[in-house]
Amino acid sequence: MAEAPSLITGESKAGDWRNYERVILPPVKDLHKIEVYEEDGGYSALKAVVKDGKFDPAALTDEVKASGLRGRGGAGFSTGLKWSFMPPVDPEKPRYLCCNGDESEPGTFKDRQIFEYNPHLMIEGIILACYAMTIKTCYLYIRGEYIDYVHHVQKAVDEAYAKGYIGKNILGTDFSTNIVVHYGAGAYICGEETSLMESLEGHRAYPRIKPPFPAQSGCWGMPTTINNVETLACVPLIVNRGAAWFSGIGPERHPGPVLYGISGHINKPGVYEFPTGMLIRDLIEVAGGVRGGKSVKAVVPGGSSTPPLTWDMAKDATMDTETLREAGSSMGTAGLCILDEDTDMVAFTRRIAHFYHHESCGQCTPCRDGTGWLEKLLSRIESGEGYTRDLDLLLEICDQMEGRTVCALADAAAWPVRWGIRRFRDEFAARCKADSFASSEQGDGSVEAQPVL
Amino acid sequence: MPQVIIDGHAHEFEAGERLLQFCLDRGIEVPHFCYHPALSVPANCRQCLVKAGLPARDRASGELVKDENGNPVTNYFPKLQTSCSLDLADGMVVHTQYDSEEVSGAQADNLELMLINHPLDCPICDQAGQCPLQIQAYKYGPEGSRFEFEKVHKPKRVQLGPNVVLDAERCINCTRCTRFTTEVSKSHQLSIIGRGDKNYPMTAPGQEFDDPYSMNVTDICPVGALTEDYFRFKARVWEMSHTPSISDFGGKGINVDYWVRDNQILRITPRENLSVNEFWMPDAARLVYQRYNENRPKGPSIGGKASDWDAAYDEAASLLKAANGKVLFLGSAYATVEDNYLLMKLAEAIGSEAPQYISHVEAGSGDDWLISDDRAPNTQGCERLDINPVDPVLLKAKLSEGEIQVLYVLEDDPIAAGVLSAEDLSGVKVILHHYHTTNETLFCADAALPAAMCVETIGTYVNEAGRAQRLRPAKMIRLMNRSLMREAGVGQSRTDRHGTPFDRWFDEGNQIDCKPGWESIPAIAERVGLTLSYKSPAAIMDEVALTLPAFGGATHKAMDLLGVGLEDIGEVV
Repeated sequence: MAEAPSLITGESKAGDWRNYERVILPPVKDLHKIEVYEEDGGYSALKAVVKDGKFDPAALTDEVKASGLRGRGGAGFSTGLKWSFMPPVDPEKPRYLCCNGDESEPGTFKDRQIFEYNPHLMIEGIILACYAMTIKTCYLYIRGEYIDYVHHVQKAVDEAYAKGYIGKNILGTDFSTNIVVHYGAGAYICGEETSLMESLEGHRAYPRIKPPFPAQSGCWGMPTTINNVETLACVPLIVNRGAAWFSGIGPERHPGPVLYGISGHINKPGVYEFPTGMLIRDLIEVAGGVRGGKSVKAVVPGGSSTPPLTWDMAKDATMDTETLREAGSSMGTAGLCILDEDTDMVAFTRRIAHFYHHESCGQCTPCRDGTGWLEKLLSRIESGEGYTRDLDLLLEICDQMEGRTVCALADAAAWPVRWGIRRFRDEFAARCKADSFASSEQGDGSVEAQPVL
Repeated sequence: MPQVIIDGHAHEFEAGERLLQFCLDRGIEVPHFCYHPALSVPANCRQCLVKAGLPARDRASGELVKDENGNPVTNYFPKLQTSCSLDLADGMVVHTQYDSEEVSGAQADNLELMLINHPLDCPICDQAGQCPLQIQAYKYGPEGSRFEFEKVHKPKRVQLGPNVVLDAERCINCTRCTRFTTEVSKSHQLSIIGRGDKNYPMTAPGQEFDDPYSMNVTDICPVGALTEDYFRFKARVWEMSHTPSISDFGGKGINVDYWVRDNQILRITPRENLSVNEFWMPDAARLVYQRYNENRPKGPSIGGKASDWDAAYDEAASLLKAANGKVLFLGSAYATVEDNYLLMKLAEAIGSEAPQYISHVEAGSGDDWLISDDRAPNTQGCERLDINPVDPVLLKAKLSEGEIQVLYVLEDDPIAAGVLSAEDLSGVKVILHHYHTTNETLFCADAALPAAMCVETIGTYVNEAGRAQRLRPAKMIRLMNRSLMREAGVGQSRTDRHGTPFDRWFDEGNQIDCKPGWESIPAIAERVGLTLSYKSPAAIMDEVALTLPAFGGATHKAMDLLGVGLEDIGEVV
């Protein structure tokens, strides 16, 4: 088989992005109000599907599959395919949809924009998803820190109930579904799909072993699908404009509009809506360029758990799953963090390690104890007390953690450390003392003071 | 039958089995901590990792794919699998740590991580010596640790409840304890609090861990995080002997191990018997351990005055002979089947009516699990010997009418049981086999013969479900006879060879001067002209099993460690 041509071409795959019209967060004032949303064409997809029968459930699933929509929560799995994993309807068994609004990854802050500015788009998407999978209950799980958005979204849900878009006999048809807004208590791990369901059930949010997958046994052991907020917000757009429109945006294998959360050393950090496949260069440009006109040292393309890219690796890469995989990272949640030339990569890595240490749920041994060890070693290196051997030890601890736990948090904790050291090793090594075993004995036979433990 | 290939050896399995239990059942040790056969499988310790794969099949034809040598190709799972949660599938290929360096390396990696925040205070930890973490770290762990930082600190010496103490730093968060309270005892009193490496099990704020089965968590705790309050710092496990036997706490016949040092029972732990108590026992059945050590008599007495055994036997025999058959024999639901059987023989020889026993059933005092309404361990044994409960009213009437001149009490206390009062016994001679100096009938006894308790004798109890189970001597009494010596594993080849690898013989001061019923009853019988000559309690039980259908098959040999279910004889009255 001939080697596939490189996807890192330095060409944008986002088409005519400079004239892109926003659809997830359109520039409409007070769009969070249901009257404004309806005026803007809101809930027309719902009417078309539920009332006018534009699609039956199976056809709607196929339409979403055809659109090429991939989950926006980090894993990038095909949404339509995920929906089709739901077993056939069993009237004896309830089935659930969970909308995952527990966005907690550092560098990811896109779902809150939907909660704040366009909650009805998400609600409409939820009802359409429930229709496609014949689900009568959706749990909308919002992270506890977003308490203001919880109230804001609850208000939008109440409005939609009052208008008959949710509840019994939606729009006078025999289709009924409910949305329950639920909020967490402040744990990153609740964003992991199975632990979200544990949390929802009132248990300690320990991720579950897979298999069984949620479609077989999810909430309360019943068939469950779980989708990200932004993913579900795309569904009404697909219904209104068609799968072909959606799949025509951005690169073929990872199409659609996407919310880029841009943060770091950038002049205008924030959430930007563009097609997928944007050049990282272009995104830095639309976000006002690097602060102080400095050059970029590193880019974390998809939230803190994705491996950081050096500028050489990032400058010609575009924001889509395949290209970023080739570049050596991952699309994640499209939360870019731009780090300028003055960034202390050791401090940056240490801070990320601190986050995962703090947020490890503590269920599995490698993650519970490994994350703490990573942070302690990185802190020692940051303070100038580390040794060069610590760098290899860090990589070995990453080996001991990756792929050895119930969920992927251990991987998420290990990747930034592993790739931070691999890609910026000189910078790490410059902070380290020579190996203690070689150097602790001084020329006069005295022993060098040991580092404070 | 479907097959699984473990380390190159094919094994047949039944659908629904999981790998770890399958291996453990076949003596293939795979290190593990969180897995327990009675609990759900969370796969959180990550210790039982193995490499596993399924035979590659051609997608179109479904045929097995073979390599150029004709061997089937295995598609290994990309990650190592936790064997506790891995469902066996036909043709599955498994490599454990014996076979794969990748696996043994991963297991060592995991143990290194598990130990970085573990205090390694084994020298002062009660669990040391029987600690799965200690044992498996030596067997499968790394040579040393590369961790050079201060460990995480967590609460120590936390009194979780009346019987359980927590040392959170030792905890490895296997969640066996929380799963026990959630899934088995259903008290839901423990849950993990905190997050990450600051996790540990705890009760809800202000709540006590007063589950009547709380100490089971100390048995299943794979480290020294949860310990029994009564046993903390009492003895190192290697200083004690432990003897598999039966608890005399109540009618459930709980299988236990008695832990003994210096001839004192220091600890009682449950022993696995899936037909009786599974892996568990109530706290109350452990806390009786002092009963076997304290208030024990110092030899026989006649009319309250210390005597020697021969004089006491002579006194008892002369009382029996003088009564002209006007004797009431009280058997005992605390005594073994063998002892009650001999008592029946003695009553028959004396010509008195058949023995009766004092019922210790207290309706409503038990629960629906391992605490029985019946306080005594061998009520069923008495019933099956056709020994019936005594009627206090009838007994008092008989006593006041002078129909009973001698009351012969085997291992019980009629006054404390409320069957009789001291006045009722004023005109009656009493022969008493007693366990304790606190026995309230002792003051009325004309001949008092200290009896061996269940931890010192050999015999059979029948639990309320009709299961005959065998007692073994866990500690020595003064003047061990040949049968006790053999059973306790001492003096097997030479008469002067005392002691086990442990020191159950060591402190003679703690040896109780008492006799098992199967030694003292024949001694008295001999003096009234009845020969009860049995080589050992096993021989008595052989006769019982042979002659009484209610005990069919219940020989000592058949009972072995797990007992024998007896044929149903109907509801016990």
